Amino acid sequence: MNKRILFAVIITVILCGLAQAKTTITWWQFWTDPNIKPVIEKMVTEFEQANPDIDIQLTDLTWANGHEKIVIAFGSKTGPDIVELGSDWIAEFAANNLLMDMSTQVASDSADYEGWGMATYDGKVFARPWILGTRVLFANRDLLTQAGYKENFIPLTFEQLNEATKKIQALSPSIYGWGSNAPEKHRLYKKFLPFFWSHGAKLFSDDGSMCLLASDSSIKALKVYKELHDSCGFVADQRGIEDAFLEGKIGFIISGDWLLKRIELENRKINLLSSFIPGTKLLGKSFQGGEFLAVNTASKHPREAMRFIQFITSPENQVKFCVANRSANPSSLEAQKDDYFSSSIHLQTFIRQIKFANHPPVDPDWVYIEQAIEEAVENALFRSGLVAHSLYEARKKIEKIKAQ
Amino acid sequence: MKWSKAGALALALPWLLTFGIFWLFPIIYSFIIGFTDQQLLAADTQWVGFDNYRALLSDPDFLKSLKNTFIFVLGTIPLTTVIALGMALLIDKQFPGRGLFRSGFFLPSITSMVVIALIFTNLYQRGGYIALLSEMIGLSPPEHGFLYSGETALFSIMAMDVWMAVGYYMLIFLAGLKSIPRELYESAEINGAGKIRQFFSITLPLLKPVALFILVVNSIKSFQVFVEIFVMTKGKFETSTMVYFIYETGLTTKFEFGYASAAAYVLFVIIGVFALAQFLLFRRKQVAW
Repeated sequence: MNKRILFAVIITVILCGLAQAKTTITWWQFWTDPNIKPVIEKMVTEFEQANPDIDIQLTDLTWANGHEKIVIAFGSKTGPDIVELGSDWIAEFAANNLLMDMSTQVASDSADYEGWGMATYDGKVFARPWILGTRVLFANRDLLTQAGYKENFIPLTFEQLNEATKKIQALSPSIYGWGSNAPEKHRLYKKFLPFFWSHGAKLFSDDGSMCLLASDSSIKALKVYKELHDSCGFVADQRGIEDAFLEGKIGFIISGDWLLKRIELENRKINLLSSFIPGTKLLGKSFQGGEFLAVNTASKHPREAMRFIQFITSPENQVKFCVANRSANPSSLEAQKDDYFSSSIHLQTFIRQIKFANHPPVDPDWVYIEQAIEEAVENALFRSGLVAHSLYEARKKIEKIKAQ
Repeated sequence: MKWSKAGALALALPWLLTFGIFWLFPIIYSFIIGFTDQQLLAADTQWVGFDNYRALLSDPDFLKSLKNTFIFVLGTIPLTTVIALGMALLIDKQFPGRGLFRSGFFLPSITSMVVIALIFTNLYQRGGYIALLSEMIGLSPPEHGFLYSGETALFSIMAMDVWMAVGYYMLIFLAGLKSIPRELYESAEINGAGKIRQFFSITLPLLKPVALFILVVNSIKSFQVFVEIFVMTKGKFETSTMVYFIYETGLTTKFEFGYASAAAYVLFVIIGVFALAQFLLFRRKQVAW
């Protein structure tokens, strides 16, 4: 009898233990800003309360070395269950079978979200869009007025932009018409590509067999970009350009929604104009990127991981995130309708601009391709290289990369 | 007290383990993977023989970084050595405030390279103090700042490096000067040798071992230049050096361990040959007293 009781107690204890055992999901993410981190943590707590069987372990990454950490972790088979990836990185991981194909899991609500193109490689979806991003043209209205422009002036074409930058440049030796990016890795190409696309240029032929980087329209685009740089460019890294712009020293810059956040949080007094990327005749095309959530192929809990991703990317949580981070482009179409996004004309500029934005090809060799593009721009802008020759050399390099 | 062999081994074990795991193993392993196409994310690795080394010889980025490294080494070492020796000779004399100068010259050597690089990045920028000074003496600084021009960026970094390093080598020269017996100078003076003769016949020959040490140490350090490039230009504007190339290839972008290891061994061989040449050059006429 005693043995039976003992046996029953042991079984009960084991079952209780099993019932309480939690599934631990590890999530690596980049949002360490004190404005947004508590919001992320709160979302995690809410999810854990709603799913008591799941424990989310959060690890912070930094933009300075986050990519390296992720690559090393995946390379050494110690990657997390869920990882936040920049749009340009997805193909590199997907091509090496490191990300779970989530095409089936996201099929039911994919129509309610934007940004799938950046997460699709080889016909399969490898990540879920979270927060998207684009670039718009910012201008200092006061400088435009001083240069003789009416208050409602918006440069719609590159010609108008060029003329306005020159007029602003002429105001004073300490005022610059245009904020021109120094050759910063992973940034310079994002500034040039809007010019490139807005001139109708393409990186590859439709079947992907030919690199078209040195086409006539591409050469025109780089010439327009170079003219702005040569005639009135204030050259610095992105942060330096934004600092100078906020100090009222620059007429026009291209930047993202983080600039709105800086203006608000740092209480900057600037008469701001936000506008779409200009075009040759009509409006041009901007750059599109974003943050995506992916599941490690080696994850032992893909179902739970997907459940968490769906929770974090839900319309309500995207709105919470965007409000805290002052982000302008949630991937959820429902979230985009929230009153917050219509509360500012500048947020509206971003929401509309992203409809006219391209993203780079989803290619595992993109890191090399973007390097070749940046070298061409750097050569033309900073080393007095001929525009056509620089692009031709970059095209040769890209063709070599693709051939390998 | 006598130590048994086992006891001695036990005491040496922590160092041996550290040496084996963190030095010896990576050195051997990186030599081996230099003959493979290993990439961190790639599933399989192929043995490629000398392909990586052959590819390096035709890689324009590597050749450019090799050229920049040699410009850096050959430009900074003679300048650093001559200025450090000159400063040591001046500081060796007795004059009021000598200690202040000595500390002042040495201060940059004990300051973090990152801090100095950031300060100089500001000094070199458009409208910065160095640009203003250049204008005052009638020189036109580069339009976008010294670090944003392929013609001036590397030389600007080299100048900063010389400024930073001279204090440390001055102190070593000073120690060498102190070790030269005063009697030699007294004897030379009695025999009618002037100051210049004394310098070339006593000071310089007796400083040769110190100079050799400085040249070898400074060469190795200069061949490995990285932090200043990373902080100030990220290898842009013709400033990419060999270690920066290895970092870019092996630890960013696609983590090409095999290719980066091969480049690292090329650098190893170059440093070895350079150091050996310096030893041979200085061994010919060793002076003793």
